Amino acid sequence: MKSYRLAILLAILGWVVVPVAAHHSFSAEYDFNKPLKLKGKVTEMKWANPHAWIYIDVVGKNGKVEKWAWETGGANALYRRGWRKEDLVAGTMLVIDGYQARNGSNTANATSITFENGKKLFAASSSQGGASGPK
Amino acid sequence: MLLRNPKATLVAVLILSAALISCSRSSSSSSSTAIPRTADGKPDLSGIWQVRNEAAADLEDHIARFEMPAGKGVVQGGPIPYQEWAAKKKIENAKNRRTLDPLENCYLPGVPRIMYMEFPFQIFQTPDHIAMTFEWSQVHRTIYTNGSPALEGIDFWMGDSRGRWEGDTLVVDVKDHNDRTWFDKAGNFHSENLHLVERYTLKDVNTIAYEATIEDPKVFTRPWTISMLLHRQTDADRIFEYQCQAEKEEANGAFEPDTKTWYPGPSVPVQTPPEWKDVQTAWKAPERKGEIKRLADGKPDLQGYFMSDGGGANYGLGFHEQDFLTPAGRGVISDPPDGILPMQAWAKTEAASRKLPERGYDDPTAHCFVAGVPRSMYVPSPLQILQPPGYVVILHERMAWRTIPLDGRPHLPDHMRLWQGDSVGKWEGDTLVIETTNLNGKAWLNEVGEIQSHAARVVERLTPISADTIQYDATVSDPLVYTRPWTISFPINRQKDELLEVACHEDNQDLQHLKDIRDEARAKARGSN
Repeated sequence: MKSYRLAILLAILGWVVVPVAAHHSFSAEYDFNKPLKLKGKVTEMKWANPHAWIYIDVVGKNGKVEKWAWETGGANALYRRGWRKEDLVAGTMLVIDGYQARNGSNTANATSITFENGKKLFAASSSQGGASGPK
Repeated sequence: MLLRNPKATLVAVLILSAALISCSRSSSSSSSTAIPRTADGKPDLSGIWQVRNEAAADLEDHIARFEMPAGKGVVQGGPIPYQEWAAKKKIENAKNRRTLDPLENCYLPGVPRIMYMEFPFQIFQTPDHIAMTFEWSQVHRTIYTNGSPALEGIDFWMGDSRGRWEGDTLVVDVKDHNDRTWFDKAGNFHSENLHLVERYTLKDVNTIAYEATIEDPKVFTRPWTISMLLHRQTDADRIFEYQCQAEKEEANGAFEPDTKTWYPGPSVPVQTPPEWKDVQTAWKAPERKGEIKRLADGKPDLQGYFMSDGGGANYGLGFHEQDFLTPAGRGVISDPPDGILPMQAWAKTEAASRKLPERGYDDPTAHCFVAGVPRSMYVPSPLQILQPPGYVVILHERMAWRTIPLDGRPHLPDHMRLWQGDSVGKWEGDTLVIETTNLNGKAWLNEVGEIQSHAARVVERLTPISADTIQYDATVSDPLVYTRPWTISFPINRQKDELLEVACHEDNQDLQHLKDIRDEARAKARGSN
């Protein structure tokens, strides 16, 4: 959907569980005081507008696998920043940087991803001011 | 005799062969003059086209079923060569088409399906791009004929189309499909590996032979081809709108009419104060800041990919600070000079109401409907401008189009009302002036609910001020909502990227939440009464 403001309303009113795909304000849903860096294996990349999602499996300290959902900018914005479908197939290892959701769930807003070969791509998410493409 | 006079024989042979050559030339030239051609000599496919077959129901031979007229198949040497598993899936698709057909959800139909649906489309041709605008949900396709390669690493509902001319046939490679579109209502389908080669051959002035070869090794045992004719709509000079999702939601009550702004019918004429015309004439052309490009006819060349620097207009036309809810805006109202929308009293009350959470559901863009005019020009999303002969065409990445004829035609009759209105254009010096009327009054001006009604007349002025910048001014005269006309102004800047595709309601997860908020507020209001 195209509504930035309405989605923030939703967030304020507590309707935003996860995942919500909209042009919502970063601070309504994610917490700048909870920076997060996780290494994991891609299980799915959902290329969608106005926001895309990366789902990864992270092996925790106890050896247990945790599932994490990372929100990014929309598919078009990602494409314009160099993201390609074939680079993000299931099984790809990534390090993702970003901020965790306020509600403490395994959900986060990605600022960048780094591949095993060191290649880094920015995630065009709401904290970086642009979900639908160039402003 | 021939042997006796070798000279005469030679002459006779020469005459004969000359006659043969000229004969073959004249036959080829007669066939080539029979079809219209563009200035660069290519067959001119411009016009309004539609099939006259029932391929939209089923590509194969079929008898009638509910809502599906009978028809002859268009598959050459049918049937469709499915792999065994795929043949089973096709049967399941057909059984469950009411829930599985992507068109039941108004998703983008994909190519080739869009080409033979029950709605006309218009082709606009320039040397570098052939644009197709479809009546169905304002879908558009651009076929790049500038030699650029298909994009890689992304997919689209409508695919990625790159064309080339082979003699007089336009050959189009369509790649980058997703796996969510079907070929018809009968459930014929493909995978994301679909590769389509379309061939467009103008047979005569009113007929295009259309062929598409379908290759998908994941689903079929071999490539197969469909062929049909596209017929020119000789009695139409424009296409209209069929906004699938909007029509559906209006029909089932999910999107409710707004009596304050929607067109009520022809029985209530609107009077515009005569002095409002002065505001239109007060406009002054902006100063040029650099050389501009021109077309062969000397008119400014506005073509290319652009992004409006809309100054946050999509979140409020006037100056506003960023707050928790709303991105900041520098204010784009250039008239009145105080930069404040001159709303009538009722409109101030209504605009305040539209900001309430329970009105969020009423914003048409929350439903993924088109943005209207002028909002289409400042939603934060790129656009492409084309200038085929006689038109200016604007394609919006958020799947919508505007086609603006320059032939001096009158507006549609007043009772014909459209989301994007009826736009006509003309050049005044180096300024393209577009006048839009016949709006249906359903669009909002932005996410904060600033108001425009069906009575609005929008005059937009696009003036190139350098090779890469167009100054945009739009004056809105809406006597039902405002006390005087007002004008917004901002630059539209060239960018190098081609348009991608925003299929808005593919993932519109928030609409139900907005509806819940509205329903809860209504229930509460009922309870307290």
